[in-house]
Amino acid sequence: MKPSLLRCGWIARMTFLEAVRQRFFAFLIVLGAAMVLSSVAFRFLDFGHGELKFIADFGFGGMFLFGSILAVVMTAQLFFAEMDNRTALTLLAKPLSRAEFLIGKFFGVWMILGLFVIILSALLGLVLWGRAQELSLMAEQSGRVAPDFSSSGLGIFAVLQWLRLSVVAAIVLAIAAAARTFLFAVILGALAVVAGQLQWIAQDVLLKPTESMLYKSILWLTSRILPNLQQFNIGDALVLDSGTVAVTSIGWVVLSGLLYTTAYLFLGTLVFRRREI
Amino acid sequence: MTSAISVRHLTKDFKMGLRGLKLRAVDDLSLEIPRGQVYGLLGPNGCGKSTTLKIVLGLVSGTSGEITILGFPSATAEARRRTGFLPEAPYFHKFLSGRELVRYCAQLSGVSATQMESAVETALELAAMTDAASRPIGTYSKGMLQRIGLAQAIVHDPELVILDEPTAGVDPVGAAAIGRMIRTMRDQGKTIVLCSHLLGQVEQVCDRVAIMDHGRLVLEGRVDEVLAQRDRHLMTIEGLTPTARLAAESALAAHGARVQSVTHPRRSLEELFRELVTGSRDA
Repeated sequence: MKPSLLRCGWIARMTFLEAVRQRFFAFLIVLGAAMVLSSVAFRFLDFGHGELKFIADFGFGGMFLFGSILAVVMTAQLFFAEMDNRTALTLLAKPLSRAEFLIGKFFGVWMILGLFVIILSALLGLVLWGRAQELSLMAEQSGRVAPDFSSSGLGIFAVLQWLRLSVVAAIVLAIAAAARTFLFAVILGALAVVAGQLQWIAQDVLLKPTESMLYKSILWLTSRILPNLQQFNIGDALVLDSGTVAVTSIGWVVLSGLLYTTAYLFLGTLVFRRREI
Repeated sequence: MTSAISVRHLTKDFKMGLRGLKLRAVDDLSLEIPRGQVYGLLGPNGCGKSTTLKIVLGLVSGTSGEITILGFPSATAEARRRTGFLPEAPYFHKFLSGRELVRYCAQLSGVSATQMESAVETALELAAMTDAASRPIGTYSKGMLQRIGLAQAIVHDPELVILDEPTAGVDPVGAAAIGRMIRTMRDQGKTIVLCSHLLGQVEQVCDRVAIMDHGRLVLEGRVDEVLAQRDRHLMTIEGLTPTARLAAESALAAHGARVQSVTHPRRSLEELFRELVTGSRDA
């Protein structure tokens, strides 16, 4: 077991080193950071909600948008780079199983997604803290209650976003293991993200009373093949209304994310075992 | 003693398109590659030799047939632990140095931490890459890429080394250096399977050859046996005067033999080139 984990670790490390050097990663970090920082300039567009909420929502949006692009494109790119450059030939001719290769690739992507989330969350935390300081001074002067945010809530939100992006990466890796081209994997991966975001609609339909067992079964199945990615979007409650999210709810979201990640990785390894390199 | 590679009735069909048409890449191939020899696998493009190597390494599955490597079923970790592979036109991460690449491959091949440094340095030395090992791979010439590829293939001291076109795109000096490395590995007791289009080099370094065409084996045997023309003889004579030549021809005719041609021995262009340019940038 230990040598197997070590081999996954070596592949993951190399994947991370390759990814972190890519301009695409730097480009998305810059775009995400620009979106988080620019939220201060656009805060007058808060539509009557609190300024901190506007800044936080802007940051969450940047993390979701650019994080999803990173998870889909980078995962597919790192997989197909090994196939197209034929480095996979060299690696898989060694005593390295296909499952180890794919799991190593996943953890390499997982690390790069973690780095992305940590950088943007830290930046968002700084922006929120800076603005909260200004608002609290103003509130003191006018005798109003100062708005605040939860840094620990932001930390939990960052972990959940990392998990959400990990689920997306696992889905894209399973698709890439079967796909022939990078473009096909990216398009299908992007569709999976959109479907995951809208999956709650299928769950809503499932909740409607119906007599047909077949209909219920199909709905149950279709609403569970893809994860409900909306369940990770509890940033408002975690960061701005600290304490309103039950620990058990967070636990269920984490468990669901881990289960979907494991299931899609398992599916990917099954498909990849039969792939001709 | 078991063969290094044993291939029995191997067939590989590739499915073409949605109509289920099949392309037969390897057709009922049987081969026994003995241990401790340099074995050349030859054939034109598309004859099935690269597919055969990929099936041997477990990168592609055969449609039918059975393969063992050193007595172990191919595509198992046990078989691959004893095998080193250099693919055709290898590509490696350009940001790594040669030493980092060889170390990475050693880690994946299960070389223990205590033996790591000595294994890496030994492989680099055999591939004559010690001096350039700290440079990024992106700065390597084609010949150096092949040699660092060779170093990563042998870093775990495999019993069997499979080289797919190891001298493709390499100048004659580099090709000769790779030829020397192959001979060194054979002298160490390794089995080397060489897939190449450079027939001159194959002839020089291989003990046995197999020639494939249209997925089938058309010839197999020891190089000197398959190339020898038993009904012809070659003598190299020094100081042959016209009179001596006439006398020799008469003497041979008296015994029923006939001189077909008399020529001057030639160096090959490759030998001349190597002689003139030895010491080039990456020799």
